[in-house]
Amino acid sequence: MSTDGATDAVLRVRGLTRRFGGVVAVSDVDLDLAAGERRAVLGPNGAGKSTLFNLIAGADTPTSGTVELFGADVTHLGARRRTRMGLSRTFQTSRLLTGLTVEDNLYLAAVGVAGGRFRLVRGARDAAARERARRTAETVGMTDRLDSLAGDLSHGEQRQLEIGLALVAEPRMLLLDEPAAGLSRAERQLLTALLLSLDREVTLLLIEHDMDVALTVAERVTMMHDGVVIVEGTPAEIRADQRVHDLYLGRAHV
Amino acid sequence: MATQTAATRRSTPSFRPPVAATAAVLVGALGLLGVLWQAFEAGFGNEGNVPVFILVTLNGLTLAGLYFISASGLTLIFGLLRVTNLAHGALFLLGGYVALTLVQDSGMSWAVAALVAMVATGGVGLVMHQLFLRWNQGQDLRQALITIAVSLILADQMLAYFGATPTAIVPPEFLAQPLPLGVYDLSYPTFRIAILVAAIVVGLLFWLVYQRTRVGMVVRAGVDDTQMTSALGVNVQLVFAGAFFVGSALAGLGGVFAGTSLSLAPGVDQSFLVSALVVVIVGGMGSLGGAALGALLLGLVDQYSSAYLPAEYANLSALLTFVLLAVILAVRPTGLFGKAS
Amino acid sequence: MTPPATPAPTSTRPHALARAWTLGTRATLALVLVVVALVPVLFSTFFTSQVGLTSLWLGIAAVSLTFLSGHGGMVSLAQTALFGIAGLTVAKLSAEAGWDPWAAALAGILAATAVGLLFGAVASGSQGIYFLIITLAFAQVTYFYFAAVPTFGAHEGINGIRPPDLIGDPVQHPARMYYFLLAVSLLVFLGLRYVSRTAFGLALQGVRDDPVRMAALGYSVRLHRTLGFTLAAPVAGAAGVLSAWSNTRMSAGSISLGVAILVLTAAVIGGLNRLEGAWVGALLYTLCDTYLRGWTDRFTTWLGVVFLVIVLVSPGGVVGMLGSVGAWIRRRLPGETPAPMVPEASALPLPVSSKGAV
Repeated sequence: MSTDGATDAVLRVRGLTRRFGGVVAVSDVDLDLAAGERRAVLGPNGAGKSTLFNLIAGADTPTSGTVELFGADVTHLGARRRTRMGLSRTFQTSRLLTGLTVEDNLYLAAVGVAGGRFRLVRGARDAAARERARRTAETVGMTDRLDSLAGDLSHGEQRQLEIGLALVAEPRMLLLDEPAAGLSRAERQLLTALLLSLDREVTLLLIEHDMDVALTVAERVTMMHDGVVIVEGTPAEIRADQRVHDLYLGRAHV
Repeated sequence: MATQTAATRRSTPSFRPPVAATAAVLVGALGLLGVLWQAFEAGFGNEGNVPVFILVTLNGLTLAGLYFISASGLTLIFGLLRVTNLAHGALFLLGGYVALTLVQDSGMSWAVAALVAMVATGGVGLVMHQLFLRWNQGQDLRQALITIAVSLILADQMLAYFGATPTAIVPPEFLAQPLPLGVYDLSYPTFRIAILVAAIVVGLLFWLVYQRTRVGMVVRAGVDDTQMTSALGVNVQLVFAGAFFVGSALAGLGGVFAGTSLSLAPGVDQSFLVSALVVVIVGGMGSLGGAALGALLLGLVDQYSSAYLPAEYANLSALLTFVLLAVILAVRPTGLFGKAS
Repeated sequence: MTPPATPAPTSTRPHALARAWTLGTRATLALVLVVVALVPVLFSTFFTSQVGLTSLWLGIAAVSLTFLSGHGGMVSLAQTALFGIAGLTVAKLSAEAGWDPWAAALAGILAATAVGLLFGAVASGSQGIYFLIITLAFAQVTYFYFAAVPTFGAHEGINGIRPPDLIGDPVQHPARMYYFLLAVSLLVFLGLRYVSRTAFGLALQGVRDDPVRMAALGYSVRLHRTLGFTLAAPVAGAAGVLSAWSNTRMSAGSISLGVAILVLTAAVIGGLNRLEGAWVGALLYTLCDTYLRGWTDRFTTWLGVVFLVIVLVSPGGVVGMLGSVGAWIRRRLPGETPAPMVPEASALPLPVSSKGAV
């Protein structure tokens, strides 16, 4: 599918800046992700990670700078359009369709990209979307919960479904916003395994507080502080960097 | 409509072409020009339409005053508690009836009766809030349904006690005589001028409270419950109860004014509720300045359209205010000064 | 989750009890549906026309609101406006312009749908309480329009509307009208239920639950809300046509703010979460309206009290309350089998009333 070739960056961010009144949440950030790359963005609270994330996902618009996705300028496209281009995201606090079953949640995610969003009859195309939903449920280990209401799930299960919703679309690029938040140790290990098992063609960008998950999954790490990128490197380089220790690791008790 | 879909697709407010807004302003300006042309085409002499124009304008302004007094209570309650009190119209009518009874049957002076009516409606509003709304905080639709139910009950009970015959409250002695305006030998009911003055006073008091107190700051910031607790460092429930009392009392005051300058009858509650809602929504819920602007727009559009529309369309004037509302909400879904939720 | 281990012999008798309960509720339901199907046979002409016809068309009007509210998160007060547009169009075209009643009905429903699309396009930008109020404004615009325009009879309204010959005279012989209304009710119920399980209907529920999530999944939230509103419009329109036929008259007063609130009341009392709640609420309202008025002058007060109690105690309305009572009793029964409530309730008016409608 991804005929863009290795030379074309999947994500190209240039001079991205977002101001809220007098506060500069993200300041002149450049970011490049090649196809299939796994990247983590780290930084203390208020570093601007979530804002950067929203700008890339299309949930927010930058004050200045550009976002290119799969070689196209998407700076002014909404979240909906970027989703259809092959970008999926998860939310930091789970946003699930709480009144619908797990299967219907996944089914809607499949229909959202596959088309037929306004269909008023059920048919063969539905069966395909249902099949896709069930396959994803298997991937994220929720087969036995297909008929439960999303609102009745435990926190851990909600996080699983959250990732499932992003995966159904079979995205070319996946944005994960603190996927390990609030998970138990065992659940975090399952999550790490799941992320490592993802198709190598999928480009991954994740924000994570949990260093174990982040540094295991990511091949490169971008460190942010006060809205600026302060260092970028391999997990080993990041672990060794004194600035990172001062800023973050020293306090995070990994 | 096509321009709007295009605009939403682009997702940024800054990219939204202001076509709809421009069109709305143009239509409004055309309407105003039409009114002015009809008023002044025959010059400024006694024979012209200027005296009528002055009276119609005054009618519009005093109506706006009446709208503002009741709408300010509604917008206060919404601004602080995020409750849309759809029983506001019933409280409005109740205030009028209480004052009517006191003036007519007990021979109480108008001012004292008005005060008692305010306390009574404030009390009823407070009881409603404490009994039904307080523990449903944050469920705005449920609260709206609760207030609809309360308004059904109140309206039916008022019908039982006060009957269906339209009645008016006798104005206080010193406001009963018409006030000479000094131009074109015109005079105007003094009581209506008093409504305008009262509306300005209510507005100024609100403005002072909003500017000078912490509660006011909180309302202007439009913050949520937990933020408010820390911002105020006070008993939030007490502030809420106070706001509900004052807001409901203002509904009652509006009812007393309306009952004196117009009349009281079943159905008045609904029509004033709808007007107050339109005023508040047009201005942006929770915004005091918005309520003032909304009241002015609604009062003037109402009076100008019934006076200056061609005769065959005159009975459509009631429609215009709602068209105004629909147009404004289509362009700005949270009203002129409303904050996006 | 796992029930405590019980010795085999004792578990058969409790099971029998639970099964008896299930059978009992099903039998009661079947009985109710048989009675509904046989109303013109079992009851007087007065009851059939006064209670039967009114609760059915009111139920159809209410279900257009229940659908929007329960499945789309849009509590609309504009349904009576669409109701009135269809009803008065039918009145004008059939009673005054001499159109065939069926053609007039089609025109009325199309008009309501077109206006519904317009209303929906404007209102879909607003949410929650703003949506409620902007639809209230639409209701008022429509009311004032029909009250002012002499073409539609203004306050006097239009009298002498005749239903199609197939249905006959709804006043003297309401049985045919009753069965026609029952058939339409069933069609509307099944249609809306089917829609709620299609991609479109599920997405509408998704928009209700979390618009931000739906946008992230690739949906256009506003378009979906607009089309959802448009889909409910012909239902409200059909109710208007059926009301005009049942009463043989319609006026601006039929769509005043009071009536809009009445439809909301019926829908809330029945339960906004389930489609069948609309008819349950409409029936309860009509029964009270017909028989309580003789007992008390303060009917509206009592209606308001019931409305208040329902909103405070059981947001799921009467239907929701029955459901929880059933579930409660079931849990008290020894050897309970969990979660039969949902399939049982959704299997509701299918078998018997489809028989009755034919």
